[in-house]
Amino acid sequence: MTRELARSVLDALAGRGLNEAEVYFKSGRSRRFEIGPQGRIASSSQEEGWAVRAGSDRASFFVAGTGQPTVDGPWPDPDGQPLRLPPAVSIPSWKPPGDLEAPLAGEIEAIRLLEAIEKSLRSELAGARLVRGLLDEGSSQTSILTSRGIEEEYRSRAASLYVEATGPVQGAETARISMASRELRSFQAPMIAHRLVDRLLLQGQGEAPERDRGELLLGPALGVRLLVALLPLLMGGGSDALVRSLRDRRGRIGSELLIVKDDGRYRGGVLEAPVDGEGWPTRETLLIAEGRFRQPLASWKDAKRLGLQVSGCVRRASWRDLPRVGPSHLFLVPSPDVKVASLLAAVARGYYLIDTQGSGRFDLERDRFRLPVCGFVLRQGRAAAPLSGAWLTGSISSWLRGIQGVARDLEFQPWSGMIGSPTTLVTGLELRRNPE
Amino acid sequence: MELCDNPEVPLSGLDTTSVARCLSQIADHGNDLADAFFERLEEVEYPAADEAPGIRVRREEGFAIRLVRDGRTWLAARDQIATAAFGEALRQVARALPSAPYPEPALDPAPFPSLEDTSRLARFPTSVTRAIRRRLAAFPMRLRVRRHRRWIRVIGTQLAPEPQSESFHSCDVDLPWGRFGALIPDLSAASVERLATSLTTLFRAQEAPRVKPTRCGVVLGPPAAAVLLHEVVGHALETDTLMMGGRVESALGLQLGGPLLNVLDDPTNAPESVRRSSDDEGMIAVRRWLLREGVVEQPLADLFSAHDSRALMPGAARRGTRHRAPAPRSTHLELLPGESSLEDLLAETDGGLYFPEVSRGQLDPLSGRFSIFLPHGRRISGGSLGELVGACRLHGTVSGLLGGIVGVGSDVESAGAGWCAKNGLKLPVWASAPSIRIEAAEVES
Repeated sequence: MTRELARSVLDALAGRGLNEAEVYFKSGRSRRFEIGPQGRIASSSQEEGWAVRAGSDRASFFVAGTGQPTVDGPWPDPDGQPLRLPPAVSIPSWKPPGDLEAPLAGEIEAIRLLEAIEKSLRSELAGARLVRGLLDEGSSQTSILTSRGIEEEYRSRAASLYVEATGPVQGAETARISMASRELRSFQAPMIAHRLVDRLLLQGQGEAPERDRGELLLGPALGVRLLVALLPLLMGGGSDALVRSLRDRRGRIGSELLIVKDDGRYRGGVLEAPVDGEGWPTRETLLIAEGRFRQPLASWKDAKRLGLQVSGCVRRASWRDLPRVGPSHLFLVPSPDVKVASLLAAVARGYYLIDTQGSGRFDLERDRFRLPVCGFVLRQGRAAAPLSGAWLTGSISSWLRGIQGVARDLEFQPWSGMIGSPTTLVTGLELRRNPE
Repeated sequence: MELCDNPEVPLSGLDTTSVARCLSQIADHGNDLADAFFERLEEVEYPAADEAPGIRVRREEGFAIRLVRDGRTWLAARDQIATAAFGEALRQVARALPSAPYPEPALDPAPFPSLEDTSRLARFPTSVTRAIRRRLAAFPMRLRVRRHRRWIRVIGTQLAPEPQSESFHSCDVDLPWGRFGALIPDLSAASVERLATSLTTLFRAQEAPRVKPTRCGVVLGPPAAAVLLHEVVGHALETDTLMMGGRVESALGLQLGGPLLNVLDDPTNAPESVRRSSDDEGMIAVRRWLLREGVVEQPLADLFSAHDSRALMPGAARRGTRHRAPAPRSTHLELLPGESSLEDLLAETDGGLYFPEVSRGQLDPLSGRFSIFLPHGRRISGGSLGELVGACRLHGTVSGLLGGIVGVGSDVESAGAGWCAKNGLKLPVWASAPSIRIEAAEVES
C-alpha cells in the first residue's frame, strides 16, 4: 500500500468528520511445513491485510479487510465510544536486523530438519517417534499512518517450531517442545531431539516423592511458565490489588535477584521492532527491580492516566486484531557471571526441574499454584534419580521471595509474546505426588 | 463456462469450469487430488459499552490451491481472489508445469454486499442485562457480541458442489471472576434467556462451596454432555487422532461405550444457519454413525485419510482458514435420546452431582486422558437438585468415561457446543444432546 493511498483514506475519513484516524497495513509471505498424521504438508501463503480505526469526539469504528483499503470503504456508521490515538513522537534510531534479507527456508531444507529430528530421536531412544512436527517461517512489512502525524514502516521475520513425540511407554503422555527464533536455520535438530528424549525418559522412569521440600533448581521452561502466570500482575488493568497483596513489610514482592524487564527492541529477538502496534517507539521497561514492583506494561493512554512510563508495548496479533497491551520480550534478567553448573553444584539435597508436564493451575488472588513437573532428584550437586509425575506447589509469593540464585542461560519461549527466563535456584516451594 | 454473475450469490463470478481444467493439469498422476478452495468471511462485532472503537467489521476473502500426491500435500494460499494470483498459486503447487497450460480462469467475484442491518446485534447486550435483572441479579460485566458469516466454494478436478454458507453469533463476557464464552445460532429471545441464566448461575456459584476430590455419580445436562461428547467421541474418532496411535481401520468395530451410546455427526441436521450439504473439501456431508450402541462404526474422515481406505468415508473435512490444509473434524454431533427423563436420571444418582454446563475441555490423544472444566454444579439429594457447588474438573480416560455412561435422557437440546481449537484450527462446532448419567466419575476442584 502506498502512502498516497493511506493519506487519501485519512482525508476521506476526515471529510466524514472522523478526524482521529489510523490506517494500518501488513503484507507478508510465510511457509509452513508439517509432518504428522496428515502426511507431509508444505504450504506457502501470501498475506495482505489492512485495518482502519477512525472516530470523532463522539463515536468510532474499526474495519479490517484483505487486500488494500479503498477510499470509499464502505465505512460503517461510527458507534460507541470516541477514539483517541497516540501523538507522533520522535523514534530513537533503530538498526534493522541483518537477517531481514535472508531468504525463507525451502521445502527440502525444512523437511530435512524435521526428518533429522525424527532420526536423532529414534537413534537416541528405541521406540520413540515423532508424532507431529511443524515449522513456520515468515517475513512481513508493516506500515502505520495516522491523522496525528505518525508515519512508520518496518519489517519483521520470525520462525517457529513445534514438535511432539511419544516414547516406548504405552499410555504415557507425549513430550512437546515449542520454540521461536528469527530464522528457521537456527533450530538444531540434535539438541531438539535430545530434549525430547530427556522428557520421554523421565516420563517412563521417573517417580514423584510423596511430599518434599529442599532446594529447587528451576530450568528456563519452569521459569517461563511461572512468569506467564504472573502476567496479569505485569500487564496493568487492575494489577494494583495483586501487587499490594504480594508486598512484604519492606515493600518488596520478591527477592533482590528478581529483576523483570520487557524490551520491544531486544537485540536478536523475534519481535524486535522500532515501534509498537500503534506506532509508539518500543523501549526497555523495568517492571520489577531487585524485588520491588516498579510498574506494569503501559500503553501511552494508560501511562498518561496513571503517571507511568510508556512501555511501547501495544501489540497486534494480526491485521485483523485490535492493538492491545502485551509483552514483547518479557524476561527475568539473567546473571551474566553465574553458570548453571555452579548453581547445580551448590545443591546438596534438592531437585532439578527441567520442564512442565501439563498446564497446572494458578490462582493469583489466593496466592497459590500447582504445576506438574519433571526433572531429577539432586544429591550433592549430581542427578541421583529421575523425577516425574510430581506437582510443584506453593504460593506465588514464596516463589518470588525464594529466588536464591539466577543463572546466565536466558531462554525465550513463544507465548503471548516472547517470555524468557534463565535457570533459577529457589527455596520455599514443595513437591508433592498428590496436588491436593 | 459456468459463471454466475448474480451479486446476491456469494462467491459468484468464478469460472468454475476453467478452474477445474487448470486443476486437472496439475493433478497429472493417477491418484492425485487437486482442489481450489475459495472463501469469504465477515465478522461484525459490538464491544462492551465502555470500549473504543465502537462497531468492528472484519471482511476477508481469498483462496487456496491444494495438490495431494502419495501422502504429501502442497498448498498455496492468497489473500485475494484474482486471476493473476490464481495462476501464481497454481504454479507454486504444480510439481511440473504443463507444456501448454490452459488459460487462467476468470475470477471476478462481486464485491462484498453492503453491511446488513446490525441493530439487533447492537441491542443484544442490553437485552441480556435486562434478562439478568429480571433474575434479581446484577454484577459488572463486559459483553462483546459478534455475527459471523462465511461463504465457501470448493472446486475439484471433477466436481464443483453448491457454494456453502454459514451464519451464527458468538459472545464473550468478561466477568470479575473470569471469562465466559458461548456460540449462539441466532439472537432470539430464547438465546437471551439462556445466556442470562448461564451468567446468573455463574455469578451465584462464586460463593458456592468447592467439591472435594471424589468418585461419584454425575448427571450432565445437555450442553455439558455435548462438550463431553465433542472431546471424548468427536476428537477421539477423528482419523488424524487415530493415525497417531496406529492404523485407523483397527478402531472400527471397537466397543468404546455401552449400548446406550448412539452418537452421530450430521452437518445436514445442524441448526439451519450453519447447515451444510458438503464439507470444506467439497465432499457430500452425510449422517455419519460414529458410535452405534457404543461400537465404533465410521470415524470422521477427510479425503486424505479416506484416500487409500475402502472402510473410511470422506465428508468430514474442515478448514479453519484457507492458509491451512483441511483436517477431519466434527460439525454437528448428535447423541440420540434414551428413554429416561431428567427426573429419572437424578433419582438414580442420589448423593451425586449435576453439572449443566462446561467451560472447556481437552483430550490427550495418545494417553486417552481427558479433562472437562465445569464452572458450577449442584448436589443431587433425594432425586432433586440441591446445594450449588463451585467450579471443578471432571477427568479420566475416554474408555473409562464412555463405559461409565449408564443413563441417557430423553431431553434433547440443540446447542452450540463451542469453539474447538485442536491443533490451532479454531472452528465452531455444534451439537444436540440429552442429559447423561455417568457412574463413578472422577471429580476434583
